[in-house]
Amino acid sequence: MGIRAASLFVFVAFLWALWCVAEPPALAQAQPSPEVYRIVVNPKNPVHSVDREFATQSFLKKVVTWDHGGVIRPVDLSIDSPVRRKFSEEVLGRSVSAVRSYWLQIVFSGRGVPPPELTSDDDVIRFVLREPGAMGYVSSRADLRGAHVLVVQ
Amino acid sequence: MVRGISRVFLALALVLGGGASARAEQPAPPRSTAVDAPPADPAPTSSAVGTPAEEPTAPAEELTAEESRASDRPLSVDVHGFVSQGFILSSGNNYLADSKRGSFEFNEAGINFTKGLGDRLRVGLQFFARDLGAVGNYVPKLDWFNLDYRLADWLGIRAGRLKAPFGLYNEINDIDSARVPVLLPQSVYPTLNRDILLAQTGGEVYGYVPIKPAGALEYRLYGGTLFLDPPIAQPPLALKSFRVPYVVGGRLMWEAPIEGLRVGGSVQALRFDTVYTLPATPPMPPPEITIGIPFVLWLASFEYAAHDLLLAAEYGRWKADLETTIGPVSKVDTVVNERYYVMAAYRLSSWFYPGVYYSHLVENVDKPMVRDNFQDDLAMTFRFDLNAHWLVKLESHYMHGTLDLSPELNDGTAKKLLQRDWGVFFVKTTAYF
Repeated sequence: MGIRAASLFVFVAFLWALWCVAEPPALAQAQPSPEVYRIVVNPKNPVHSVDREFATQSFLKKVVTWDHGGVIRPVDLSIDSPVRRKFSEEVLGRSVSAVRSYWLQIVFSGRGVPPPELTSDDDVIRFVLREPGAMGYVSSRADLRGAHVLVVQ
Repeated sequence: MVRGISRVFLALALVLGGGASARAEQPAPPRSTAVDAPPADPAPTSSAVGTPAEEPTAPAEELTAEESRASDRPLSVDVHGFVSQGFILSSGNNYLADSKRGSFEFNEAGINFTKGLGDRLRVGLQFFARDLGAVGNYVPKLDWFNLDYRLADWLGIRAGRLKAPFGLYNEINDIDSARVPVLLPQSVYPTLNRDILLAQTGGEVYGYVPIKPAGALEYRLYGGTLFLDPPIAQPPLALKSFRVPYVVGGRLMWEAPIEGLRVGGSVQALRFDTVYTLPATPPMPPPEITIGIPFVLWLASFEYAAHDLLLAAEYGRWKADLETTIGPVSKVDTVVNERYYVMAAYRLSSWFYPGVYYSHLVENVDKPMVRDNFQDDLAMTFRFDLNAHWLVKLESHYMHGTLDLSPELNDGTAKKLLQRDWGVFFVKTTAYF
């Protein structure tokens, strides 16, 4: 009896969740237009273009070294940033939630820590200008202040 | 030896903890700063290359906590932790705890500290405690501790107590926030065998090798030992010695050029050596019974994780040779397990992540498929992320077979007499940071 009641509860919760997930059309229309991002690096960095795989591996810290030998220091925007959402889907090939799950696996198994999360484009630019190996992304509206934009092929 | 190492790391944790507090006290920098501003790059997409008119210099500003961490400044320490509380309700048989009447003996807590020391060296440790029925009882343990030196992308070394890379998810078997289901498929990731499978004390080499255009290879090789509580001897036997002389293994994963697809294999070998004595009959010395159990475990893995879809499947066989020696007489009994599962999950929204899996376990492939020699598990799970640091999971299982049950939790009833078809329901909530 107990397990039947529990199964029924799960089923009802599932239906409720599906109903909640269904997005009203009006709300869908209210979504802001997709953000455009730029990947930026320190102006002293001799690298001007990378392939998408390298960018993905760098932000997931699978690859940690630039071709010229310096250490890559990726930096993220905060998880609720629409720029990060766009970047994550297009470059990392995963949603922000999926990337966060990836980092939880890394963090709690003792294999590393995620890139720092900065709150604004300005913070990212400041960090990129300070760190020679830095790699970040900012919105198209950001004042780059001399940071190089990296071409992703 | 291990206790000594543990004390060293405990002291390190206290030092790092102090650092974390200091980091938290750093004042926030001003948001708007006067900077020599070269002209902004007008290009609106990532396909443009910026060409600044002058060489910019970083302004002398205080670092935020996150910037400090990214820069490996002296006070930067990463601190992460989690607390979980679960509820188990089962029908037919007790499972993991006294679950037929419902049990809250299902909780975990952990906290870890990680500190980068320069560009390529990192140290860290994690404390962990749990209660799962008769297991754990909230006794805190040093779950892992390591120093990690990354020489290059293709070569890094770790030393300490290290999570074992066996299969896709062994390292997160007790980390609820890092996976979709409450229970990972128990055929491959048995939660009650956590102390044996989860971590080893020794060393590891690892690396990541891009092999364009064929994707990339990730390898990990490790060796060391396990420090386990000795088995309890049943009278008239008395335990004389118990040790794990070695555990060695490795995992090779191929990340295919198809986005999110990786396949690979894991292998692990370890050995238990146990010596018992029988009561002496003077003037003869007490006779000894020596039991050696070499294990060889292998697992083939497949995972497709792209965007919001997760598909995973693993198949493996675990072989154990029971080598028993009593005086001049020796014999070897071999047991081969078969284990596999298939799992699918899809993130419907940022807060709702349902999944399903089927798991199959056979204890001895050479024996008939009677109820105590196998277990099938069909599970349906729902993960609700209430916010960025708090989740709730609901999960139900339909079970067929009694292999994974414990007679001790079921009034001493033999597995072959327990109910063949039964069910389990879990509710679990986890807060993490």
